[in-house]
Amino acid sequence: MDILKRNYFWWNKWTGYSLLILLLVATPLFTIFIKLFDSPGGSWSHIANNLLLGYFQNTILLLLGVALMTFLLGVSTAWLVSNYEFPGRRYFEWLLILPLGFPGYIMAYTYVGLLDYTGPIQVFFRNNFDLQVKGSLIDIMNLPGAIFILSITLFPYVFLITRSSFLQQSKTLQEASFLLGANRFKTFFKVALPMARPAIVAGIALASMEVLNDYGTVKYFGVNTFTTGIFRAWFSMGDSSTAIYLAAILMVFVFVILYLESLQRGNRQYSSVNGIQKPIARVHPTLAKKIIYTGICSSVFLLSFLFPFLQLLQWVSLTYSKVVNQDFFLLIYRSFGLAAMSGILIVVLSIVLLYALRLSPFKWVKNITKIATLGYAIPGAVIAVGVMIPFIALDKWVYGTLFTSQVAGLFFSGTLFALVFAYIVRFMAVGYNPVEAGFQKIGIHVNEASRLLGVRSTRTLWRIDLPLIKTSLVSGILLVFVDVLKELPLTLILRPFNYQTLATKAFDMATNEMIAESANAALIIILTGIIPIIFLNRLIKKREL
Amino acid sequence: MRILSLQHINKKYHKADEFAVNDVSFEVEEGEILALVGESGSGKTTLLRLIAGLEHPDSGSISLLGQTIVEGVRSVPAHERQVGMVFQDYALFPHLTILENVKFGLKKAKGNPEQIALDTLKLVGLKEDFSRYPHQLSGGQQQRVALARAIAPNPKILLMDEPFSNLDALLKDQVREEIRQIIKKTGITAIFVTHDTKDALSTADRIAILHKGYLQQIDIPKNLYENPVNPYVANFFGKRNEILATPTEEGYYTSFGFIADPEAKKFRAKVVLQFRPEHGEVVQRDGQQLTGKIVKISYFGSHQMVKLADDEGKRVTIRTNPGRSFEGMERANFYLWKYDVEEAF
Repeated sequence: MDILKRNYFWWNKWTGYSLLILLLVATPLFTIFIKLFDSPGGSWSHIANNLLLGYFQNTILLLLGVALMTFLLGVSTAWLVSNYEFPGRRYFEWLLILPLGFPGYIMAYTYVGLLDYTGPIQVFFRNNFDLQVKGSLIDIMNLPGAIFILSITLFPYVFLITRSSFLQQSKTLQEASFLLGANRFKTFFKVALPMARPAIVAGIALASMEVLNDYGTVKYFGVNTFTTGIFRAWFSMGDSSTAIYLAAILMVFVFVILYLESLQRGNRQYSSVNGIQKPIARVHPTLAKKIIYTGICSSVFLLSFLFPFLQLLQWVSLTYSKVVNQDFFLLIYRSFGLAAMSGILIVVLSIVLLYALRLSPFKWVKNITKIATLGYAIPGAVIAVGVMIPFIALDKWVYGTLFTSQVAGLFFSGTLFALVFAYIVRFMAVGYNPVEAGFQKIGIHVNEASRLLGVRSTRTLWRIDLPLIKTSLVSGILLVFVDVLKELPLTLILRPFNYQTLATKAFDMATNEMIAESANAALIIILTGIIPIIFLNRLIKKREL
Repeated sequence: MRILSLQHINKKYHKADEFAVNDVSFEVEEGEILALVGESGSGKTTLLRLIAGLEHPDSGSISLLGQTIVEGVRSVPAHERQVGMVFQDYALFPHLTILENVKFGLKKAKGNPEQIALDTLKLVGLKEDFSRYPHQLSGGQQQRVALARAIAPNPKILLMDEPFSNLDALLKDQVREEIRQIIKKTGITAIFVTHDTKDALSTADRIAILHKGYLQQIDIPKNLYENPVNPYVANFFGKRNEILATPTEEGYYTSFGFIADPEAKKFRAKVVLQFRPEHGEVVQRDGQQLTGKIVKISYFGSHQMVKLADDEGKRVTIRTNPGRSFEGMERANFYLWKYDVEEAF
């Protein structure tokens, strides 16, 4: 009877931990929401009258442009790679994902360098053909340029998801289309493309989120968007209320995109009913077509990865002796430490959240727990503002009550603590999803079996669940690691004074006309980024089999 | 002695319209094997999980060995219930060896865990190398490991979810008998869930039949078969014929002929006569018999099934011995030595 009296069926300590984490992680988002009902800051009317329309125009044009270009690049290459056999096809499957390792801002100034007066293209033409162009070959430091840069770094999202959708479409479906008299071309437009629509839209939605998150590219190119507006209000005008207002509007963009994405998916079923299907048989086209297909994929790969990558290598070879010194290693050490710490913390918190969910008798807990992963859809600058405000308030309170001193110190805000917390809010989904998949894969029965054998939930977690999902934990940490390493806008706002990471250092150097020098930090970010991309591609391929 | 008692258990899953378990009460006596039988969605697995502490009922109470383990919002957690469970997919720990799997629940056990584990593995008839891992075993062997793991800590009650569903038909008969022997040898009280009536009839001491979350009937197999409380239970154990009949003072008029029965005068309106194929018999002689046109004869080795039709095409099935010949016959006579009568609507 005593045992019964002590225990409620819905309560265990995991529920408590989980609620606490959710509350903390949701704080920045609530902050923005609540502050929206405050009066706007002093510079709001200035921004509203002079800049807001421009922010709107640029942001929307950027979104539309990138959506169109990622669609063209991603869908065409995905279709070729999944339907035709041509030289290099097997390699393009993963080569075309590599651009994801390039942060937009690095791609941006690499291209500026490529097209510059002293860049390899102009030098080549000048030396061999005596061709003279004044200044830059093509001016890409404008809106179309930003669209181009963001598209070539983000199209792999569309490519990846669409390819996986094409591969899941059954052979029989295509054959049915051929038998009904449609040729390959018509089949593509009438069958394959409509069936892949949810995947394509999901890919474009992901790319759009990244566009809204981007600060480096648009800032470097001088294109004013909401993100640059937040920075301007925050740093130049010191007006946090206005920054929040802009952040809130940016969040509306995010929710509109998420809503449109879910709307188009509806509850229609786009996968075929039958479980196991014959995969699409790849066609061997004529030689001429083979050359064209290889040509298309190669050009996309050259433009989106190889040329800029080689340019970076060249810069590194020119400058490494100057740049790579003790300070540089310290920079690597710090960045890696920060990224590893965030990765481990996120995975640990995800384990707690998901384990509470696993043990919970209520189904709706799942929806609440999803709040923890919302941050991934929200631009880094917005999260930074949302983290900063409660931390500043906390600092004031701490100093007011504990030290009763007049001097406001920085206890939380402006410290690494705030930065890591913001990374957790922003990238929780990145670590959460692999852990969730891991738990799903092993199923609930092993956990239940252990508890029925008299082993408590905590011990069960250590002895059964965690050993079985080891790989998921490692991939979770790795994925967060890479994302944190690349992250720019959030780090710029929240880093402690004069604190540099690889990303901020690369960006600072590039904006200060030290593009070649910045390549050293950039190269490390890209090389680390490529490892999990290949890893990820393996995972996707395995699921297809 | 009473081991387990469930009182007015209700359980509704979130958003589901119907109750998964609906006001179910029953008791289990020490040492008996109870089968929970029902179609998928009948709530049988939910009941098992409620007893195990993996789910919590919306209302009702459960007591185990006289101790209340579920009441209101209070619940004894699964790890303190001392309930053993064999999952349908066995849920063996893939990263532990066979021996480690069986030893897993023996931390608090009296005596040497290693020895208990080895003894239990011997009891369930496993002679393999115990340092192997679950995936290196066949399905049948994995099931034995799962059984050994569940009974090794000497639980108060053993629960099994569809224990025979993953075995092929040839193995099934043998395994059913073996598992019954093992359970009886240990003297453990057991409840198992199955959708297969053969499993229940051959293995269980008592059977509980569930339909749409309601407990229909709980009894020994013979009583369920011979005295079903309702048509659902009756039909659960094989085919039942139904023919419409008009009662008179002397008997029943049916489309197959007249049946003399003084009981018939108790009924005013039309009735339905229900009988199983084996409750009828095909006979040669004429007289006060029922008669029908032979539609189909199916030979099963141990018996034959004869389908007979009345003038309107309504059919009944009668079981006969395998030796009987129907060559050259268009019609056959039969009589019923047992049938149930129910008022028709």
